[in-house]
Amino acid sequence: MTVSDVTASGTANRGGAQLPVVVRAENVSKRFVIRKEKSLKERIVNFGRSQKHKDDFWALRDVNFEITAGTTLGLVGANGSGKSTLLKVLGGIIEPNDGFVERRGRLAALLELGAGFHPDLTGRENVYLNSSILGLSRKQTDEYFQSIVDFSEIEAFIDTQVKFYSSGMYVRLAFAIAVHVDPDILLVDEVLAVGDEPFQEKCMAKIKEFQQEGRTIILVSHSASQVEDLCDRVLVLSHGNVVFDGGATDGIAALRESFDR
Amino acid sequence: MGSTEIPGNGHELASVAQQRAERLAELPFEVSVSAGPKSVGGFFASIREIAKHRELLDLLIRRELKSRYKDSTLGFLWSLIKPLVQLLIYYVFIGTVLGASRGVPDFAIFVFSGLTLWGLYAETISTGTASIISNGGLIKKVYLPREIFPLASTGSAIFNFLVQMVVLLLAIIVLGQFPVSWNLLYVPVAFVVVLIWGVTFAVVLSALNVFLRDIQYLVEVAMLLLFWASPIVYSWTLVVQSVKTHTWLLDVYLLNPISLAMLAFQRGLWQAGSQTRVLGDPGNLTVVPPVQWPANMDLLLVLATIAGLVALFFAQRIFSRLQGNFAQEI
Repeated sequence: MTVSDVTASGTANRGGAQLPVVVRAENVSKRFVIRKEKSLKERIVNFGRSQKHKDDFWALRDVNFEITAGTTLGLVGANGSGKSTLLKVLGGIIEPNDGFVERRGRLAALLELGAGFHPDLTGRENVYLNSSILGLSRKQTDEYFQSIVDFSEIEAFIDTQVKFYSSGMYVRLAFAIAVHVDPDILLVDEVLAVGDEPFQEKCMAKIKEFQQEGRTIILVSHSASQVEDLCDRVLVLSHGNVVFDGGATDGIAALRESFDR
Repeated sequence: MGSTEIPGNGHELASVAQQRAERLAELPFEVSVSAGPKSVGGFFASIREIAKHRELLDLLIRRELKSRYKDSTLGFLWSLIKPLVQLLIYYVFIGTVLGASRGVPDFAIFVFSGLTLWGLYAETISTGTASIISNGGLIKKVYLPREIFPLASTGSAIFNFLVQMVVLLLAIIVLGQFPVSWNLLYVPVAFVVVLIWGVTFAVVLSALNVFLRDIQYLVEVAMLLLFWASPIVYSWTLVVQSVKTHTWLLDVYLLNPISLAMLAFQRGLWQAGSQTRVLGDPGNLTVVPPVQWPANMDLLLVLATIAGLVALFFAQRIFSRLQGNFAQEI
């Protein structure tokens, strides 16, 4: 699936069925300015030389693409190539300097190690809080609660404060919540390699189930095998530019090539 | 998903996918900007967005309240102990030892009502200012209308205010000083004025604090100073006396909306302030006339509310401009 297949009406042709475009990025550019000083003192001391203490670079440069419903897209690239920035722009967390991202449908992000968890609250309280952060109503959470706990397999500790959880338990609960949000678009940033092996397999099975249900998954990963296994389209980024857009196998080859440059 | 979509055979799943595609094709595109709409209407769009997340706001307020005294034995009592000790200090040292209570009948009620309202303002601003930084983990990972973090701090400040209010009202009733008069209407007005200005500062300072961390320390110092810029431990009568003939200084003093709200709050709850009282020991009696409240107080309160709403509008616009870069600055 390449951009050229997309028709003007915002749908694309795949296997005879018309699939709607769910994410559209146009000329997305993001420039980062890195200031080395943070405090007032440092700013005053370095006043005038301030320009020298600024460093800027383009984390993303004129990125264009469209994603149709049901696609699993892998974002790959070397460290610092802009994949996580792109994911954040897609999620609306960072605003691009130029261009825009349009999307439709419910979006959920798999939070890295349960970023929305409060260590002093119990697992149960955190489930409600995190579900709400990801956009579930209280009633929906009540409905899914048992299913979330079952999926995470930590029922015995659900009323314990999460600061006493092991990191594995933490991630199990976070993953269990994220997959119950019923997203149309799921953003995943390097978090699938967590938990013990049976749980990882469970996660993969869930992701596959999501694919069959026609959900769109956008995945940032360094694992070539995982990308080849899951994705049906790959974007390779290098220094903020999209250098390849196409199938997974070719994408991995292009990725290896981009390392050499 | 969960209860609704049990994995069945391939055909069923394909139709699930198809239904999803059909539903998605109907939806309009939304521009995912983290900075929100830039136009004037963006203010109302942001308000709508926050209203959509009110369940989350409620949970965040609970989280803040629950986690604050989570592992302490006395728990919530601590949020009362602090103002009560403050009251004791001001009552004993400022009131009795330094003699500030000489011209102020029912000094305890006077001071505690001032401290209660000030507590709301100070807590809203100081916890609100730090709120974006302290929720950095979330802000970097998910898109939410970020205004809900200062608002959640405000919510927990309101809760503490209400707890203190209950104590204050009980004390007033026990002392037999409950003011049954129309002046009581000043209490909600004062609350609204303080809330609007508190939220305004919390919103704008929380955003600035992301880019300049010194703000939160600056706020602490500023709150210490501002405490003395409002009639909390000294009375309005003292202010009027000390400016002597320079009455324009009173206008300057009342430019601070919190001073104005403080007077309104006291006028509502501190009955003795509006009555003639006789103070002192037998043999050394002083007659304290009622406080000369500012003449155009009602009008000033209306103006402070309107100015506050305008300021809140600009605060939210500034916040909206700045929040696009939150995730990379935290």
